[in-house]
Amino acid sequence: MTTPAIKAIGLTKRFRGQGGEIVTAVDGIDLTIGSGEIVAFLGPNGAGKTTTVDMFLGLTSPTSGEVEVYGETPHSAVVDGRVSAVMQTGGLLPDFTVRETIRAIAALHGRPERVDVVVERAGLGPLANRLVKACSGGEQQRLKFALALVPDPDLVILDEPTTGMDVSARQQFWDTMRADAADGRTIVFATHYLAEADAFAERTVLMARARIMADGPTAEVRAAYGGHTVTFRPPADVMGAQGIDQAWLDEVRKAVAPLGINDLEVASASLEAAFLALTGTPLIDSEATGAPTDAEESLL
Amino acid sequence: MSTTTITDTEVPAVTSRGTTRPLAVAYAGLDLKRQLRDKVGMFFTVALPAFLFFVFGMGDDEAYGSANVAMYVMVSMAAYGAVTATTTVAGVAATEQTMGWGRQVSLTPLPSLAFVAIKTAVAMLVAAVPIALIYAIGAATGSSGNAFDWLASAGIVWLGSVLFAVYGLAMCLIFKGENAAGIASGLIVIMSFLGNVFTPMDGIILEIGRFTPLYGYAGLARYPISEGYLPNDAGHDSVWLLLANVCSWTVIFAALAVWGLRRRRERV
Repeated sequence: MTTPAIKAIGLTKRFRGQGGEIVTAVDGIDLTIGSGEIVAFLGPNGAGKTTTVDMFLGLTSPTSGEVEVYGETPHSAVVDGRVSAVMQTGGLLPDFTVRETIRAIAALHGRPERVDVVVERAGLGPLANRLVKACSGGEQQRLKFALALVPDPDLVILDEPTTGMDVSARQQFWDTMRADAADGRTIVFATHYLAEADAFAERTVLMARARIMADGPTAEVRAAYGGHTVTFRPPADVMGAQGIDQAWLDEVRKAVAPLGINDLEVASASLEAAFLALTGTPLIDSEATGAPTDAEESLL
Repeated sequence: MSTTTITDTEVPAVTSRGTTRPLAVAYAGLDLKRQLRDKVGMFFTVALPAFLFFVFGMGDDEAYGSANVAMYVMVSMAAYGAVTATTTVAGVAATEQTMGWGRQVSLTPLPSLAFVAIKTAVAMLVAAVPIALIYAIGAATGSSGNAFDWLASAGIVWLGSVLFAVYGLAMCLIFKGENAAGIASGLIVIMSFLGNVFTPMDGIILEIGRFTPLYGYAGLARYPISEGYLPNDAGHDSVWLLLANVCSWTVIFAALAVWGLRRRRERV
């Protein structure tokens, strides 16, 4: 219990870019993730999240620095089945069925008895005999998640796990993850959706330009770097096809200026919010976090 | 709740080491089934050579070396089928790697060398399918030769097809994309003509053909029957020339595969 799930000291990865220049993908990361934690790795594309995840999994060796997973090398942790992952760059074989894919990986783990458990857990029962190439992007993503659960790992690393999923599939996925976390699994996920970190992670590690910019409870990271957003709906008569009436906006600016507000941002409702409003699917834990879904990625 | 997860994970740590072999066999079984299910691939590996055998000399009882013409054509067609099989399987394996399946496999306890061994075994098993089928058709339709002709030719066809696994690997590492395996096995058809596998050649094309990859391999496979004498009195090949051809192409394909692998790694 005292051994941390991940312990990284001065983790650095450099490689040669296409023009021959040296690119630093990960720059001296220090990070300790305790057993049972749920941590979000938040950052824009190209921040170094995937490279960091690759080093946690032993798929890439660091240029300098060290990383231990449950006190052993990442590779040993993989061999022992203590860590597993849904990788952004992991692929599936199109002409295997869903079940065959899981059986193949379960065979290599020496855990054939896990096949049924994992099919059930990832909700793949109805798809089990479908060819992978006939599955949607979201379904394939769920299959990758099932593969990650095969060794029954203590730590699951998810790199952009909801890529290709529609809104309701995304929500279903996080529900499954929540159930897993309740069983005591340590979960680390990389994402560029602030809402996902917000709704699911207790702790957020904010990464940008190869470094950790912030690390702490999600609410604090959000407060420190995201600020708070006040959203209101303008009256219908000032909204035209070209957006909000400019004269009215100027009046609003003038009206709020005495309150110390000097920055007014206009954002239309996100497609996601519109989708949810139209389909009637509730927002992911919206009342628990109080996070507005509009323009939420703007801080990144 | 958390205690159950912990005791669960103690199990694989104990079992994974001792039981790697049967598990690798289970994986190979699934992989083999997948390859055999590929209808287009199996058409080119099994149906096409069987058909060509039917067209080019099935049942032709004219004497040829220590056997008859039907036997000679049978060996050629089995060689074509076997080579197409290993090219396809190896090519598909290389494509799988670039599509990211290799990364899924690398998150399992299987050592990478064991993965190569599994793939080789699958390729050899798939290659055995056209050989067994065409030899069976041959035996039923009057291919005749002595016991040594049958065994030695089948053995050379089977083992020699490994060379084209290296070829398939090299091609798919150099040319990106899902079509690479198709291109590689398509080129096999052209190289089979040049390699004197389909129809007997003579003159300038034969001179050029001697330097192509399938020539040495097919010549060696038929050597127990022909002792190097070509059909239609087109000439004679010494066993050394045939061996030199095979060795040279092994080196060339291996070098291309290594080069392709390096190039691919740099890009990532």
